[in-house]
Amino acid sequence: MRFGLDDDDDDAREELPALKARTCRTWKHDTRQARQRSIIGGSISIIMNGHCNGKASDVAVEQFHSSNAFPELSVKKAAHRNLQEGSRKEEEDQCRLPSMEAAYASILRELGEDVDRHGLLRTPLRAAKAMQFFTKGYHETVDDVLNDAIFDEGHDEMVIVKDIDMFSLCEHHLVPFFGKVHIGYIPNKKVVGLSKLARIVEIYSRRLQVQERLTKQIAVGLSEALKPRGVAVVIEAAHMCMVMRGVQKMNSRTVTSSMLGAYRDDPKTREEFLSLTQN
Amino acid sequence: MEHSRQTEFTSNDGKDTRDTTLVVNGHFDGVVKKPSAALQSPATESGSHRSAASVSESWKEEHARSVEDNEVSLPSLAAAYTTILRGLGEDPHRQGLAKTPWRAATAMQFFTKGYQETIIDVLNDAIFDEDHDEMVIVKDIDVFSMCEHHLVPIIGKVHIGYLPNKRVLGLSKLARIVEIYSRRLQVQERLTKQIAVAITEALHPTGVGVIMEATHMCMVMRGVQKMNSKTITSTMLGVFREDPKTRDEFLTLLSSQPATYNDWQNNSIIFQSMAEDHSSDGCCQTR
Repeated sequence: MRFGLDDDDDDAREELPALKARTCRTWKHDTRQARQRSIIGGSISIIMNGHCNGKASDVAVEQFHSSNAFPELSVKKAAHRNLQEGSRKEEEDQCRLPSMEAAYASILRELGEDVDRHGLLRTPLRAAKAMQFFTKGYHETVDDVLNDAIFDEGHDEMVIVKDIDMFSLCEHHLVPFFGKVHIGYIPNKKVVGLSKLARIVEIYSRRLQVQERLTKQIAVGLSEALKPRGVAVVIEAAHMCMVMRGVQKMNSRTVTSSMLGAYRDDPKTREEFLSLTQN
Repeated sequence: MEHSRQTEFTSNDGKDTRDTTLVVNGHFDGVVKKPSAALQSPATESGSHRSAASVSESWKEEHARSVEDNEVSLPSLAAAYTTILRGLGEDPHRQGLAKTPWRAATAMQFFTKGYQETIIDVLNDAIFDEDHDEMVIVKDIDVFSMCEHHLVPIIGKVHIGYLPNKRVLGLSKLARIVEIYSRRLQVQERLTKQIAVAITEALHPTGVGVIMEATHMCMVMRGVQKMNSKTITSTMLGVFREDPKTRDEFLTLLSSQPATYNDWQNNSIIFQSMAEDHSSDGCCQTR
């Protein structure tokens, strides 16, 4: 399945105004649009990174999310997600490399550097590959990564994995931001392999991101996969776009959090999570 | 545009016997040139100074990228970034990415703004005759550079020490020299050396020592992915190179922990409470 707009894809362009109208912070779904998209055959921009229209297909799950003050959240079943959320394949990476290399070579030239000097000879290729690595989260979906590592344990106490190193790219300046993620969840009889929490972080962080959206995607991804009683995600990060340029505040940190289920409803649960992760 | 820029560079090379080679970031395509007469100065130790100058080019002959050049190259930089976004599979027209090519292009120009400045402009004649010949150290200068191999940030600290030879430099000028050379596509070894050589040529001090410790995002975020690794490079010129005791003094002073502004605020509260405790004792203890 291809994604990314082709210049000669006029059908895709007609969809653009509708796509633009949808901001990344509204989670409304539109089944008519979804049907149109499937008719066109999937060659238009399948919305990356959660700007998608899904179908609320599982009533029980939707109720769960509605009760968490997420009334408009569109929840996709695993199968739908694999069809609709485009994933970038390795072969596509390879074919796009030359154009990205050329783009980096032109960037170096425009910055006034000498592209032929020894240190910069293979830099366009290395930079293009590095950028593909920094956005490799587009390759993967949560289901690929969970690998069925969900176990029935009969455990219903809080599980926390903290200090997960996270590296992402600011989608506004294409400059890194990095920090730590703390994840807590209260299982509903099903626990997940611990490294899978870190893998879920990797999937969503290795993309062009905004820290708020990243936090929410991790929380929602986990809650869809596990259906736990509650999920809490806290991210504390330093944004190089603020440190290296612009306002240049070296020691500033941005903290965002996403609380779902029991963490949102019960302040004591939230407090327990926060005190366990702050120490 | 590229061609005209090249001729601009070459026209500056009048006083040299060099052919048309681009002087960017102290490189000559690997050709090591002999230092011209302008670089040598009788005041400094000739041995170390000459060897330093022969490896990297004098800042007196560098040509600056101009602000107009920046404006002219912005559209093509933005177009290149749009291609990159498309190559990554993103939709360049979605709301979050709509202006990203321009922002990323401006950001990249900021990260390479060292090409726009020359040392002469920045020093601003802030060289003073002070009759001071003890070590001067400015440490913990935050430094941000770009790895020239992967175009990914390098983040660290620079510590500079020098032994003046009757002439001292305005302290912020040391940090400004760091800024000029760090805001380029760099390799940490070259950056350290360029800072040291620039101070040497500006001041002709008895000796200069520059130590840089940095984290390379190309090693942390990708590749070998070692989060806590740090790279440390140093350049010692003049008496710092020749006299081990001077070098030792520099390194010892670097590792001491004098109070920062925050420390001072915290300590003043602690000292106050200590004083209150002491006043109830009959003794007089010094700490």
